Amino acid sequence: MSERRIGVYVCQCGGNISDYVDVEQVVGAVANDPGVVVARTAMFTCSDATQQEIEADIREQQLDGLVVASCSPKLHTFTFREAARRAGLNPYEYTQVNIREQCSWTHTDDRTGATRKAMQLVRAGIARTRLTEPLEPTAVQTTPSALVIGGGVAGMRAAIGLADLGLGVFLVEREARLCGHTGELGELFPNAGTGSGLVARLLEQIRERPQIAVFTSAEVTAKSGTYGNYRAVIRAGEESIHAEIGQIIVATGFDSYEPAAGEYGYGIQGVLTLPEFRRMLDSREDLIVGGRKPESIAYVYCVGSRCEEHPYCSRFCCSAAVHASLLASDRVAGVRQYHLYRDMRTYGRNELMLSESRERGSLYLKFADGDPPEVTHDGQRLSVTVRDQLTGGDELTIPADLVVLVTGMVPQANDRLVKTLKLPVGGDGFFNEIHPKLRPVETVVDGVLIAGACQGPKTVAESVTSGLAAVSQTAAVLKRGVAELDPQIATVHASACSGCGACVEACPFGAISMIARDGGEVAQIDRAGCKGCGACAPVCGEDAIDLLGYTDGQVRAMIDALIQIPPTHPHLP
Amino acid sequence: MDYDVLVIGSGIGGMESALKLGDMGYKVLVVERDPSVGGKMILLSKVFPTLDCASCISTPKMAATVHHPNVTVLTASEVQEIVSDGGGGFHATVERRPRFVDESLCTGCRQCEQACTVAVPDQFNGELVSRRAAYIAFPQAVPQKALIERAGTSPCTFTCPAGIKAHGYVSLIRSGEYEKAFALVAETTPLVGSLGRACYAPCEGECTRGELEGTLPIRRLKRFIADAHYSVTEPAAPVHAPLNGGRHIAIVGSGPAGLTAAWHLAHAGHRVKIFEAAPVAGGALRHAIPSYRLPAEIVERDIANVTALGVEIVTGVRVTDLEELRREGYDAVLIATGTPVAMRLGVPGEELEQVSSALAFLRDVKLGHAPRLDGKAVVVVGGGNVAIDAARSARRLGARAVRMACLETREQMPAYDWEVQEALAEGVELHDGWGIGGFTSEWDEVCSVELKRCTSVFDADGRFSPSYEESLTDTLECDVAIVAVGMRPDTEAFPVLAPEGARTLKADAETLQTSREWVFAAGDAVTDPRTIAEAVGHGARAAHMIDRFLRGLVLEGFEEPIPVVDKREVLHRQHSHSRRDPLAGALRAASDPTDFAEIEPPLTEAEARTAAGRCLDCGVCSECHECLAACPADAIDLGMRAQTLAIDVGSVIVSTGYALFPADAKPQYGYGRYKNVITGAQMERLLAPTRPYNTVLRPGDGRVPERIAYVMCTGSRDQTVGNPLCSKFCCMYSIKQNQLIMGALPLAEVTVHYIDVRAVGKGYDEFFEQAKAMGASFVKGRVASITELDGGNLLLRYEDIDGGGHIAEAEYDMVVLAVGVLPNRDAARLFKVEQLRLDAHDYVDEVDPDANPARTSIPGVFVAGAASGPRDIPESILHAGAAVAQAAAHVDRLRVLA
Repeated sequence: MSERRIGVYVCQCGGNISDYVDVEQVVGAVANDPGVVVARTAMFTCSDATQQEIEADIREQQLDGLVVASCSPKLHTFTFREAARRAGLNPYEYTQVNIREQCSWTHTDDRTGATRKAMQLVRAGIARTRLTEPLEPTAVQTTPSALVIGGGVAGMRAAIGLADLGLGVFLVEREARLCGHTGELGELFPNAGTGSGLVARLLEQIRERPQIAVFTSAEVTAKSGTYGNYRAVIRAGEESIHAEIGQIIVATGFDSYEPAAGEYGYGIQGVLTLPEFRRMLDSREDLIVGGRKPESIAYVYCVGSRCEEHPYCSRFCCSAAVHASLLASDRVAGVRQYHLYRDMRTYGRNELMLSESRERGSLYLKFADGDPPEVTHDGQRLSVTVRDQLTGGDELTIPADLVVLVTGMVPQANDRLVKTLKLPVGGDGFFNEIHPKLRPVETVVDGVLIAGACQGPKTVAESVTSGLAAVSQTAAVLKRGVAELDPQIATVHASACSGCGACVEACPFGAISMIARDGGEVAQIDRAGCKGCGACAPVCGEDAIDLLGYTDGQVRAMIDALIQIPPTHPHLP
Repeated sequence: MDYDVLVIGSGIGGMESALKLGDMGYKVLVVERDPSVGGKMILLSKVFPTLDCASCISTPKMAATVHHPNVTVLTASEVQEIVSDGGGGFHATVERRPRFVDESLCTGCRQCEQACTVAVPDQFNGELVSRRAAYIAFPQAVPQKALIERAGTSPCTFTCPAGIKAHGYVSLIRSGEYEKAFALVAETTPLVGSLGRACYAPCEGECTRGELEGTLPIRRLKRFIADAHYSVTEPAAPVHAPLNGGRHIAIVGSGPAGLTAAWHLAHAGHRVKIFEAAPVAGGALRHAIPSYRLPAEIVERDIANVTALGVEIVTGVRVTDLEELRREGYDAVLIATGTPVAMRLGVPGEELEQVSSALAFLRDVKLGHAPRLDGKAVVVVGGGNVAIDAARSARRLGARAVRMACLETREQMPAYDWEVQEALAEGVELHDGWGIGGFTSEWDEVCSVELKRCTSVFDADGRFSPSYEESLTDTLECDVAIVAVGMRPDTEAFPVLAPEGARTLKADAETLQTSREWVFAAGDAVTDPRTIAEAVGHGARAAHMIDRFLRGLVLEGFEEPIPVVDKREVLHRQHSHSRRDPLAGALRAASDPTDFAEIEPPLTEAEARTAAGRCLDCGVCSECHECLAACPADAIDLGMRAQTLAIDVGSVIVSTGYALFPADAKPQYGYGRYKNVITGAQMERLLAPTRPYNTVLRPGDGRVPERIAYVMCTGSRDQTVGNPLCSKFCCMYSIKQNQLIMGALPLAEVTVHYIDVRAVGKGYDEFFEQAKAMGASFVKGRVASITELDGGNLLLRYEDIDGGGHIAEAEYDMVVLAVGVLPNRDAARLFKVEQLRLDAHDYVDEVDPDANPARTSIPGVFVAGAASGPRDIPESILHAGAAVAQAAAHVDRLRVLA
């Protein structure tokens, strides 16, 4: 192999790295390694200026390999691949070395050790880069339609949004009609309008769009295919529909928390959950409890939220309860209302409802974490006992005709769908996005997006917003009609393959098949189906499978570099 | 359609919008007001609840945005207006503000920043530290291109008739760069020493410091740099550079206009010869201004700057024949002969031998020909600068009594008041409000001047038209009378340039070209007597035009300064300017003057540095030109001006973000007065990887704070400041900062004074629990007031609800105000004709948020992110997604219609 020309850039990350790793020493240690022609540090390697410097180096020094030692490859692999591409270097001739998460952030107590480890990691990265080869992504045509699972507001609005961008839609709902929780609601907050009215509008728009195929009382039972081209099986009663789709949006919503019998008096007449109370408010009948109009209502907040079983905050329930109390005061003039809360989380504009409810006479009492109110019935009347921190912790007993348990959202039991789509489920039971900050609708599963309250508690407007965000993400992939697939996939050296088939078993994506060759069988890998996970490579007894970008040769070279004892630097003890 | 979608603002919502639309294949234009994309997120330390480094996750998005093949980004630009095109799309007008740095040439090397002599508060670091006027917004800025902040031309520079960069040399002196300061003035004129002494300094009249404690001594600072330069350099020998394409130019007159023109023309490569009628060069500088104000040696040194360039000066030659010059081979001629002709009173006795003109008197004095006046009584007629100079010179020649008689009252006198004061201090007597009836003689010698009472000097239209009360008279005895009642150009010398009866030579005011295209005229000869500085400015203009004339170019392009900065804006910018008193102004007078030694003492170096340090940097950039010298890429262009682009787009996404609540609007918390009270946004900077102090310190004294309090809901949920809304993310950023502070300062105690902790997102409540587990204390109850204690600590008075609801006080080292958000009202004013509707709280109204979030009152216009209400980062990203889905659908519909 001819001599390589590799550029190595060691990032300070503005102190994130350089506070604990002596980046100058790292550069000094590898500057003379074989093949290294440029080695330098940078304050923020990812900054535009440094990227431009790297590009200039690639052009001027005719670099054929690039190593950036900075943060996790999760963050910047694509950044520097793009920089390489702009300068005419094949993006796969680039190696990212993680000396932040793996060195500076981990070894804050050991500057010397962190520096030494960084040297080894960088050296291993250089060793891998010496053996890189240019790779070209596989371009695949994508299918211009999407599958939306869940016919609540998020799913419905997503279906409409997709159709408006010229994409076909399969909208699948488990229940008999498109409705979701919202369709059963009257007045919404904080914006005017009713839930049933909103759903009726969405249904109308769906009917106007022939590109949307709606399947109710239906479930998605199977998914196969590769990036941009999936097949899903929709089971609707006896019928099975095979849908060709490019992307899947999961918008399966939430369940309301059901208190256990006896929890805060649940089960006693007059003790209702918030959804039960809303149904009562939304019905046209008079608000009657025990044969008469209620004179007082007590709300107990955080039922089923911020507790051991569900440690998360359910976000919407404070505002929903305050809103319900406003509706109640509309319905029953002069009703006394008591709110027993931990923190009033009427965020954003919802705060206005809180102010209004106080102006209308609602009383707010705060109980301490771990000191919940008690709901009792003495045979004659319901009452709630609470130690109110706002009045010096005095124990107060409030007679109430109605006790509303402000229950939150819990994840839906959806085991079959989770299994079918391999959906990532978080510790709280809701589906997890790939990055909670910057990529809130994508999941780790290619082609599967999440929207609405299946990701976590959300209001109507928030669910619809995330449904539309999923539309944008879908269109960003499907609207161009072509997708590029990562070429770092497995490859079979056919001449070495014994045809044992062990790799076929090992592949979790079903991307390997056996084909006839020279009278026997050899393994063949579907370029679009392979995810480059590498599961096949180690099971091959003949070493006939290599993962492009991480070939056996490269991995061995990296190990060799890692176990090399770094030369003792004069400044290192 | 130039672009499918216009995205206004490049914060996280704008970037997300642009990237998604670009990925879908739409052409997007992003217009960002700041010099970098990234919005507020890039300035954060870390983000909640993942504690990802904000820089690390923002920079890829920023780089991706500007590099996306379908996305065009204009930074330092503003959308000025948007109107509907009637077909569903929009016409937008975008202004590209001048960066004064050519983006295509700038390499982001920051040499200009290091060279810049002006420091201003760094808005990208919460104004906790300074940055330079030439700067790159922040280390991760995209694009990594410098810009120069210019709020306008500084008043001193703007008002200088000579065009000298007064602010520039002041800021160079402040930096100790005296030679560079001299060189900067010499970019405009060689007469640094003369102007440093004899200029009437209109700059000082405009100095913004003058509205505070007193003006800067800008003229004396110029004298300081001239003295500094001349004390270390010898006059250079004349160099005759080869004439590389240059031409021959004759200049008639060697006063300030002629010398300045010669200086510029010689620098431009021309061969210049000056013809001077007097026996020595220098014009008024050398012949009219007495040595006690402007020593002859200084003028000689200034002139030597010109001759060092190879300019030849011949004296004693009065030119009148322009054609002769033409025949001698001169390609162009500049007439800069000033005002050598003294005006006469036209009264009886004026012809007497003992009655002379001030011009002749002062010239004789300056050239050493004037006889002594020991024991004599002198009357000076006139009330202007020249009269004062004559009177004071007469005192120095030994006159027993010097009396000035002038038409005007003391207040009306054209001489500056300080000049009159100085003359009076030197024993000159003033007889103001008197006209001259005539001079009477006995034995052919003047023995008295007859005065008559002047009742008014000007008529109703302001024209000079004195009227007298003939019956009121007086008589001044004298031996010598000096008449200083004005002077005028020598029009008789160039009749072709002065029409019959014209008082001055005629030249175009803009080009200074005369009726003969190869003859230009400048200075007092054209303008009538004005100041030295005006003559210098004219000379520079003439040189520019002559050079263009000789190169066959249109006569235009003489440097136009950018508009002057508004002084109110400058004063408003000084949050807390420290009081800096001016140097005591010395009366430049000798009580019993006996010689012509220079009166005004020079500034010491310490005085000069102190004086220059008082500069308020009104225009921000001082035009010191250090960046021009430092830039290796030659990318600086101070002549750059705003450009306006007209753009057609299909849809608009408004992602202009939010404004932070101004914490000083809660005066009881002391922000802006107490240095150790900072905002949450400032704490973000103290904790960020590119933090200004490299650790968490309190700004007041740089101590490491041990007890830190957070005051939640500063400016949110607060009717007293008109913001009833909850700002949504202040609880979370405070909780995040609590954790980062405890990480950075393990000994620090953090206490949060809150109303409700609103941890309402995925993983947020868990994050809150984590902060409590790490040791942050949460105290329920509002903070009533903050008081600063001696030493900078702060006493909080608050309600302690958990502790029984009593009022309590606690002392902290530092207080962080968790400021909330306010609407950014910029968005609405962009839309002309159709109005973009705002909601009751002035956020962009979402007309149908449950079904069509992000839709606004104008079809085709969408809003993304916090422009329509408080949103955190993921909410802004989701909201941008909603805007994008509908904007794309809108563009598709327009395409179908087309």
